[in-house]
Amino acid sequence: MGFFDKLFKKKDKKEKAAPADNKAAAADKKAAAPAAAPAGEVEQIGLQAADLGELLPGAPPGGKFKLAIYWAAACGGCDVSILDTNERILTIGDMADIVMWPIAADGKEKDIEAMEDGEILVSLISGAIRNSENEHMVKLLRQKSKVVVAYGTCACFGGSPALANLVPGESKEILDYVYTKTPTSANFQSTYHSDAPVIPQTSTTVPEGELTLPVLYDTVRTLDQVVDVDYYIPGCPPLQESISQLLKAVADFAYNGVPLPPKGTEVGVTTKTLCEECPRHKENLRISHIYEPYEIDVKPDVCLMDQGILCLGPATVGGCGARCTKVGQPCRGCYGPTADVQEHGASVFTAIASMFPIREDDGIIGEDEIIKIMSEVKDPLGYFYAFTLGKSLIKKAVVEGGQ
Amino acid sequence: MADFEPRIVTFCCNWCSYAGADGAGVARLQMPTNFRIIRTMCSARVDPEFVLRAFSKGADGVMVLGCHPADCHYIGGNYRARRRIALLRMILEQYGFDPKRLKLEWVSASEGEKFQTTVVNFVETIKELGPTPLKKEAN
Repeated sequence: MGFFDKLFKKKDKKEKAAPADNKAAAADKKAAAPAAAPAGEVEQIGLQAADLGELLPGAPPGGKFKLAIYWAAACGGCDVSILDTNERILTIGDMADIVMWPIAADGKEKDIEAMEDGEILVSLISGAIRNSENEHMVKLLRQKSKVVVAYGTCACFGGSPALANLVPGESKEILDYVYTKTPTSANFQSTYHSDAPVIPQTSTTVPEGELTLPVLYDTVRTLDQVVDVDYYIPGCPPLQESISQLLKAVADFAYNGVPLPPKGTEVGVTTKTLCEECPRHKENLRISHIYEPYEIDVKPDVCLMDQGILCLGPATVGGCGARCTKVGQPCRGCYGPTADVQEHGASVFTAIASMFPIREDDGIIGEDEIIKIMSEVKDPLGYFYAFTLGKSLIKKAVVEGGQ
Repeated sequence: MADFEPRIVTFCCNWCSYAGADGAGVARLQMPTNFRIIRTMCSARVDPEFVLRAFSKGADGVMVLGCHPADCHYIGGNYRARRRIALLRMILEQYGFDPKRLKLEWVSASEGEKFQTTVVNFVETIKELGPTPLKKEAN
């Protein structure tokens, strides 16, 4: 049974076995929920427009520096977050020459290749390194840039793309699944290619010459596992304050000679965990059942963990202003671990395991019973390592007896 | 795979299991020498990161030994440890490891013999499972 078969089998099971009390809770919630959110609610929650500081300075005449923005294996959300800097996006154009930005501006690989080494002042790269094209482009940009910034969680920690490392059959199994087993592609293949399914090849010879496609790698890597990285901006996507802060620092460096922050700086994070800035009140309750936020009526001021919702806040570095937890969604850990921790997921489930109460009969029950208690946490690897698998100690699925 | 000698990392809590291991040594009980002991103050001090780090560095198996339930020097440390280890075992299984490669056992200060049998059995289990499935180049 392949990885994907198992995955979907599990999902089916889960849907069938929805506990009755949850349904009741959800129904209550429906009844209790007001027809529409009152207009003042957003303000009550404490969300405010971001303070981005002063507008970025325009460039002195003829002195625009060069800025490149690139996406590797990313969803594009990071690029959109740059556009999300309100009116500042206009001043970014005044301040810098955008030589490459696949999602919004022109600028091709050959243009970058024609540049001299170090000609680009700063490259913002989002996304993990998934195929040979990603690797080629980030290496090229590294060569041509003075400063390379890992922009967003995928570039910093691997993000969701890195979860592909958990497929034991590696790229072959993924390609096979995507091109022959998903319902749409299976229909297509059985209609048009019933003898042998067609899976894209990395090189094909046609009358006009050879066509090539990038090679899909077996292991998804983070940006700093491929090239040298100067700064990190975590977040899925990063906050508009963080990008403004970085661009301000770069502009100051380019026009006023202010030195850049030390290499390796994570921009926009605090030294403490998210719990420090979360406004919710912790009551140190113990939990014995785990809920999804939609299953219960989430109390507005009480810690989400106390309410049985798995929140990664206790082990995730702060800096995002607790935007998710303020509106009743648990932290999913996109900012990664604090500076002293490497293994984000392990750090989280150490905290989560302690949330489960010690029972009266704990002294006499066996380990099987404990496994039953902890099985309340579904898919621990996928949940606790959702964003940081690329940086974890064990980065890939293994196969017993494979050697 | 007759010549496979597993490398096993053993975490022993200071108050029970380390003394138990000591007792096994003093009593000159015979056991395989495949394990390295790391002394921690409590089994709850064993951060799952330690175990994952041991596996990522090529350990074939990891044992976590602590005081019996209701016998912890810090009252509830081993209750926490067993919950963490249960989750960790689920995670190792998701990675594709055989969960038998991680063992949690309770050995008190007076149980030198239990320490011996635990080690003997665990080494046997790991020998049956073979070397760690983690490939060197993956990390």
